[in-house]
Amino acid sequence: METLYPLFTTGAINGNENFFWALIIGIVFGLILERAGFGTSNHIAPVFFFRNLRVSQIMVSAILTCATLLTIAVYNGILDFNQIFIPTTYIWPYLVGGALFGLGMVMSGWCPGTAVVGFATGKLDAAVFLLGVMFGMSVYFDNFDKIADFANSSNAGRLTIDKLVGGDIYTALIITVFIGIGLSIFMNVMKSIRDNKGEN
Amino acid sequence: MNKQKGYWNPIFAGIILGIALFGSFMIAGQGMGASGAFARITAELSFLYDGSLVDNAYAAKYLKGNALSNWTVIEVFGIFLGGYISAALAGRIKQSIDRGEDYPAFKRLFWAFVGGIIIAVATRLARGCTSGQALDGAATFSVGAWIFMLAAFGSGFFFANFFKKQWKGVN
Repeated sequence: METLYPLFTTGAINGNENFFWALIIGIVFGLILERAGFGTSNHIAPVFFFRNLRVSQIMVSAILTCATLLTIAVYNGILDFNQIFIPTTYIWPYLVGGALFGLGMVMSGWCPGTAVVGFATGKLDAAVFLLGVMFGMSVYFDNFDKIADFANSSNAGRLTIDKLVGGDIYTALIITVFIGIGLSIFMNVMKSIRDNKGEN
Repeated sequence: MNKQKGYWNPIFAGIILGIALFGSFMIAGQGMGASGAFARITAELSFLYDGSLVDNAYAAKYLKGNALSNWTVIEVFGIFLGGYISAALAGRIKQSIDRGEDYPAFKRLFWAFVGGIIIAVATRLARGCTSGQALDGAATFSVGAWIFMLAAFGSGFFFANFFKKQWKGVN
């Protein structure tokens, strides 16, 4: 069978059609995020206290669903996985960026995507958060020359799990499933420890 | 759980989100994004006031054409529309500030702003956020996505107690 997907990168649809679909896909994401409860930071921040596992449950089930469907598409020969955009892995910048991100998230209660939904539904704190994000972007632009060396350090390329441990996409899927299950168990254990402490 | 009436079961929501994410990869070759759009909006707005930004070491790549003529920018506009439509249909459009009982509004907004600044810097270092890096990356077997998530959640758990009073239902 011919690899037709991703439709845009194989040339099956043109740039304008891709932009049209971007709007449709965005609307679908927005609907799902709102129904998932991500329009309020009272559903987001509690994950860091192991009180409400909505965030981790949604993330793990979305990752496993999407990863499985992508693997099936590759198995059927309709998807060229090399044309899928995967960000380059920069080990140290990702560790530092991730640590800053976690701090920013528990401080603000938002991440950029959920804040768009919060803003759309009238949350003033989401609007202020997004102003902070834009201010922060401009601070980053103005100071990039000072941290460029660090930001581009420890470049590991387009590093996928199968390249790291050997094997193919099926190996990667199996490992991803195990990580997802492990994370879910960890979160549930932490939550039950927290609940049993009897703190209201 | 009746407080969450009208919201989907989280596992169900995750599966639906995963299917939508798959659709996005199959059509565009990329998944959900958010922070990149704000980097581009900031670059375009700053450029209107200061044309020298085209020579900026970081923002120059956005300003080769119109920074807003971009898949992720359009998709984020869609997220806004979709979020609005969904909340309107559920009767949830309401001007408010999410915070714990008795937590002062101005303090909550202050931390939202500072958190936004930190998150902006974080997303540039990590080449994305919870959507473009964590969710998309993990779904496409990227090792970097898990490094990012490990660091982000580890740090969130570590700093959580400093911000306890801000939130409902965590005490």
